Amino acid sequence: MDFSLTDDQELLRDTARNILARECPASLVRAHIDDPTVAEPLWSRLREYCGLGSGPAVDLCLFVEATGYVAAPGPFFATVALFAPILEAAESDLLEKVLAGEVSGTVAMAGLDGLWAANREPRKTFVPEADRVDRVVVVNSGPTVTVAERLPARLVRTVDHSRRLFDVETAAAVADAQAIAPDALDRAVQRATIALSAELVGTCRRLFDMSLSYAKERVQFDRPIGSFQAIQHKLADMALDLERAWAAVYYAAMALDAGDDERARATHVAKATAGEAARRIGKDAAQIHGGIGYTWEHDLHLFLRRAFASEAWLGNTDWHHDRLADLIV
Amino acid sequence: MHLAWGPEEEAFRAELVAFIAEYAPPEALVQRDFAGMGEPGEGTEIVPEWARRWQAILFDHGWMIPAYPPELGGRNATPIQTLVFLEELASRGILRSLHFPGYAIVAPSLLEFGNEEQKKLAPAAIRGDTIWCIGMSEPNAGSDLAGLQTRADLRDDHFVVNGQKVWTSYATIAQKCFCYVRTDPDAPKHRGISVLLIDVDTPGIDVRPLRHINGMAGFAEVFFTDVVVPRENLVGALNDGWRITQGSLAHERGGLWVEGVARLEHGVEGLITLARHFGRDGDPVVRREIAQMYSRAASLRALGYKGFTSFAQGSSAPEHSYMKLATSETGKRLYELGMEMQGAYGPVVDDERGYEDGRWIRSFFTSFANTIAGGSSEIQRNIIAQRVLGLPRS
Ligand SMILES: Cc1cc2nc3c(=O)[nH]c(=O)nc-3n(C[C@H](O)[C@H](O)[C@H](O)COP(=O)(O)OP(=O)(O)OC[C@H]3O[C@@H](n4cnc5c(N)ncnc54)[C@H](O)[C@@H]3O)c2cc1C
Repeated sequence: MDFSLTDDQELLRDTARNILARECPASLVRAHIDDPTVAEPLWSRLREYCGLGSGPAVDLCLFVEATGYVAAPGPFFATVALFAPILEAAESDLLEKVLAGEVSGTVAMAGLDGLWAANREPRKTFVPEADRVDRVVVVNSGPTVTVAERLPARLVRTVDHSRRLFDVETAAAVADAQAIAPDALDRAVQRATIALSAELVGTCRRLFDMSLSYAKERVQFDRPIGSFQAIQHKLADMALDLERAWAAVYYAAMALDAGDDERARATHVAKATAGEAARRIGKDAAQIHGGIGYTWEHDLHLFLRRAFASEAWLGNTDWHHDRLADLIV
Repeated sequence: MHLAWGPEEEAFRAELVAFIAEYAPPEALVQRDFAGMGEPGEGTEIVPEWARRWQAILFDHGWMIPAYPPELGGRNATPIQTLVFLEELASRGILRSLHFPGYAIVAPSLLEFGNEEQKKLAPAAIRGDTIWCIGMSEPNAGSDLAGLQTRADLRDDHFVVNGQKVWTSYATIAQKCFCYVRTDPDAPKHRGISVLLIDVDTPGIDVRPLRHINGMAGFAEVFFTDVVVPRENLVGALNDGWRITQGSLAHERGGLWVEGVARLEHGVEGLITLARHFGRDGDPVVRREIAQMYSRAASLRALGYKGFTSFAQGSSAPEHSYMKLATSETGKRLYELGMEMQGAYGPVVDDERGYEDGRWIRSFFTSFANTIAGGSSEIQRNIIAQRVLGLPRS
């Protein structure tokens, strides 16, 4: 197992970090709370990276780790990590345009229980960005897929304003449902789950970095709070959880890319490990920041919100552990 | 990034597998939950005869430390080949040796810091012909190793050593001790330390065995009273011993994670069998906890490989401290879980009534050593915070 990045991958990662640092400051994430259209310039900039919707999952992860770091709003994740893989699994002609950045899209799959398994329910839930994408692909049991233009959508408010989730009424979109291989659908959902885990690791890294620098700056009792062992040990445990999650995510991405038998287990491990990291890092980040971290003015909550919402989406930590148990016990 | 090793590494593995099939004694093939740290062999013997023979065979065939040249029990293996070697042994639960100080700490330290005469001691340390113990800890110097007080006064051509070591693993069977002593009591504490090679049968040395918490023979107290040690047994420069502690701790940590992770994975398999045996495998809480342990082990394996990737590329990797901390703490929880799942039978070690000879409670107790020895979990967190994250010293 070799974790080294190729020169191209390093370039991709650095490019992603640079673009997102420039184009997606915390002020944008904040402005997006009241006005989702402010994310449009960012989306125009990210369109050229929609090619990541196909090809190595490792590359996709490197990029979305950077979008997670800045809690990027907009349809990028839904398009490259959900929509494109499902189109690819369904061998849809539309894929080419999506990869070229010409068409954005999202996926309506989860039923009322919020689980990403094919079902017959006409109302799908937790559909990201359903009101601002060009297409919605509906997945029903069979499994089948249908690509629709616009479907009635209602915002389901969560604590996370940076990723907007919707209920979507899909009754109108069953007309030309097309069968899709269950294996291919599994793979697409695995790819999305691994990508979300990578994105979540990015968000965790942001929370960690903010906490570490605050611990070095903030002085109490005439010394930086980062010199107190209670704070040091929290940060050491946070760092361990973060590094462990990073490794689990890229292991899963490699397993998926290699078509390895491990990939189902590795996907559950990735999301569960990233989820555990998110919970610990989220709580301790808030603790380390003291009162300032409890304010609306401080940016910490923007990332806390994204982290806890990502932990719950596409199967939360417990759910992934339980599915893993089904495979191993 | 890629998952699989190349054909060259796999050919290397195939050679190793063939060697194991031909030479490994049946006793070496028994998966153990825990190893090193004074884990005795069968019965009360700390290093039984089969283990001595097995270590010599590994050496003679160049499989003891593959990265070394043949005269040091190796075959000039690359770092990746070494990893393949460690992972193959670990996944089969095979130990190279039941006494790690000689091959894992003393030999590398002698090769790095010793003079030509001292380097000649390395092959026997690696082959296991000489059994070594490490005299670092003292009653008043544990985590704070630099506080050690055992004195060595230089008189012409020899040192005179007085003091006490404690928790010294293998001292009861060792021929030699790699011993940290204070040679300049007036210097700041890190600067007055030296290393001496001391024959354990030198007059004035008194070794008193201490039993481990698990009841087995293991470490010892070692008392030094006017022990005369020839000057040429000084390793490196006088008062420069602290540098050697840093080296030897690094050697000790090198490949330990591979074994640590393999033991966790073996433990998870054991938990699944245990859950079935006690009819707990349908219990959602038990199932989730097993999956959590599986996730921990799998993610730690990935993290270990990630650290290895940077190590093989020549950068020092902070993953050592992460791996030491996480494998030891996870192991403790894993064995505790196995004990809990047995309900009233958790603490039973009775031959007839106990499950697997009390494996879980015994391993649980034994696992306490791993979060203490070789730098406790708290010390690992200090190291991560201060050396990796750059936080100020408290
Ligand atoms: C099975 C076993 C085998 C061993 N074999 C050997 C051997 O062969 N040779 C040898 O020299 N030694 C050996 N040791 C000793 C081992 O290295 C020490 O036990 C270890 O360094 C801890 O020292 P201590 O026992 O004095 O505990 P202490 O250092 O007194 O620690 C007690 C507690 O205080 C905590 N603590 C100490 N300092 C700090 C700090 N700065 N911040 C936060 N918490 C702190 C520790 O984490 C621990 O929880 C062995 C130990 C064991 C258990």
